[in-house]
Amino acid sequence: MFTLIKREIEDHVAFFLGAAIATAILIVLLVSAVLNYDPPPDIPVYAVGLLIPVIVVVVIGLPAMGVSQMYTDRNRRISAFLSGLPVTRSQILVARIVTGVLAILIVLAPLTITGTVLRDLLLPPIPIYPGLIADMSVTAFLIAFACYCLGLLTGWTSSRITPTLGALVLTCILIPLILVKGFGLHIKVILILFIIASLVRTWQKFKSTAL
Amino acid sequence: MDENVIEVENLVKYFDGRCVLDGINLKVPRGCIYGLLGRNAAGKTTMIRILFGLEPSTRGWAFLLGTESSRLSAKVKGRIGYVAEGHNLIQNYKVGRLVKLCRDLSLQWNSEFFAHLIEMFHLPMDRRISQLSIGMRAQLNLSLALAIDPELLILDDPTLGMDTVARRQFLELAIDLIQQQDRTILFSSHILSDVERVADRIGILAGGKLVVDCALEELKNRIKKFRLIFPESAPEDLHLTEIINQQIQGREMVITVANWNQQKQAMLDTFKPSNSTEMPMSLEDIFIECTKPTTVTTAPQ
Amino acid sequence: MQFRIDNASDRPVYQQIIDQIKRDIALGRLIKDEKLPTVRQLAKQLAINPNTIAKAYRQLEQEGIIVTKPGTGAFVASLDSNLSKSVRKKIVSEELERIAIEAFHMQIDRQTLLELFDSAVEKFNLPPKKEK
Repeated sequence: MFTLIKREIEDHVAFFLGAAIATAILIVLLVSAVLNYDPPPDIPVYAVGLLIPVIVVVVIGLPAMGVSQMYTDRNRRISAFLSGLPVTRSQILVARIVTGVLAILIVLAPLTITGTVLRDLLLPPIPIYPGLIADMSVTAFLIAFACYCLGLLTGWTSSRITPTLGALVLTCILIPLILVKGFGLHIKVILILFIIASLVRTWQKFKSTAL
Repeated sequence: MDENVIEVENLVKYFDGRCVLDGINLKVPRGCIYGLLGRNAAGKTTMIRILFGLEPSTRGWAFLLGTESSRLSAKVKGRIGYVAEGHNLIQNYKVGRLVKLCRDLSLQWNSEFFAHLIEMFHLPMDRRISQLSIGMRAQLNLSLALAIDPELLILDDPTLGMDTVARRQFLELAIDLIQQQDRTILFSSHILSDVERVADRIGILAGGKLVVDCALEELKNRIKKFRLIFPESAPEDLHLTEIINQQIQGREMVITVANWNQQKQAMLDTFKPSNSTEMPMSLEDIFIECTKPTTVTTAPQ
Repeated sequence: MQFRIDNASDRPVYQQIIDQIKRDIALGRLIKDEKLPTVRQLAKQLAINPNTIAKAYRQLEQEGIIVTKPGTGAFVASLDSNLSKSVRKKIVSEELERIAIEAFHMQIDRQTLLELFDSAVEKFNLPPKKEK
């Protein structure tokens, strides 16, 4: 399994680098914005405001990664070759998904840590309810993962453009939905259901196609 | 241990409404080298892909080492060496990277033997797969399959692109493998002379069916071709079963029959041909006869 | 031992090996009690399925042309076949009929055929008459 994951990462290094760079930029923005404001701004509103760029990165980058992983597999017949080795299709798919999750974590984990550090530094006057950052991180993760799963689902076709566009369009529908509904429990449940549905469908497709 | 390492039961496969495999039944026993022959697009690759779970069947079953083909576990696959048709491998990888991937994923790996094969075939480790000739890709593919010390080798046109020397090396490797305990090889090939050397059983796929499936040494005894001259015009119907080919021109009939036996000889004798010559058939002749669409033609006088 | 497999032949591979071993013995290239290569060795050398070679050896042993000693290998037998004389004569006469049929189709006349036959007998040094 480790070998498979390593292989996926090596093949899609560009996305990981992009994720790291995006995170770095966002952290710099976040830190500089928070530290330069006088008086300290209304954190919740501001935090939401900064989440938009993150979401943009996620909206473009993650479905693209999902699509890329599936498309290059189909195009270069990688699973066809791996199937000749002692590896099952489930293992290949799990390794792929784990790689996606790792990429998401590379974006979100540093941001979450930075946010927590900033909150601890700037407390007390800022009214942040405890767990806001945790809540935001979890929701952000679910959004990111949902976008990624969309990429995986649509990527297993022969064309490159259609799935990417499809994924982007669907994500653009998803985002206003989130903004309208806020970060509550409802949105998490919707996202989790969506993730489960798309993963199950992806697994079905991947398992049953001819390689 | 199962006696049959490969079993195919009533396998049917349709592609876009076209029937490629029409009820194939096959059993390959342990220790056998099975040569699968057939013209291009006869269904050899399709059957092999279904065996390995790369393609679902439309109907019927296929089993490798006792496990159903669509449910092959990693452990079972680890005992099987597979060379897929076309030797595509992963085009943009370097040879060294591909080798490392295979080595890391395999359940067992004979580094010494692999190193020996790499040397024998002069395979460069730092070149990209796409830059290798097809012959070298074939040799690499074969080496990767052999390095896992496989119990069962399934090879789809393994010598495609190989030069004569490399082909002989492949045959020698196959013989070396089979001389070890309990090894089995199934390979498809267009090179009949190679098949005749190393196979002990042979199968010919034609028209979606396995028209021949028997021990190689029996094949030449079972399929017979005769040139018959009759005193008056040749009879339309000889009441013989398993006629593969029949051509009539006036008093002369050329007929190819499968599973020749004494009863058929007796049946033929009742028609009292004035002259009967057996036409000798090489494996190539047999193959050509079996893969022509079954014809019973009568030429005009 | 050098063998050629003729892929254009109508004779199965094992039969071709039998033919060539018999020929070598008749030509004196293989002498009495000489050790033949093992099945494994020959299979490896010729890149031929070991079962094919084993079958050839088995049939040769049945015909009394070679003997296998367990643990040691296969050896060219003494030329006293263990088949009865009548069986041996039958085998040879069937072969001769095949030759006669060939000659007929090749339009070789009787005289020429007998001449060819004599030179073949010369070549292989058949003893004029064997004492019973």
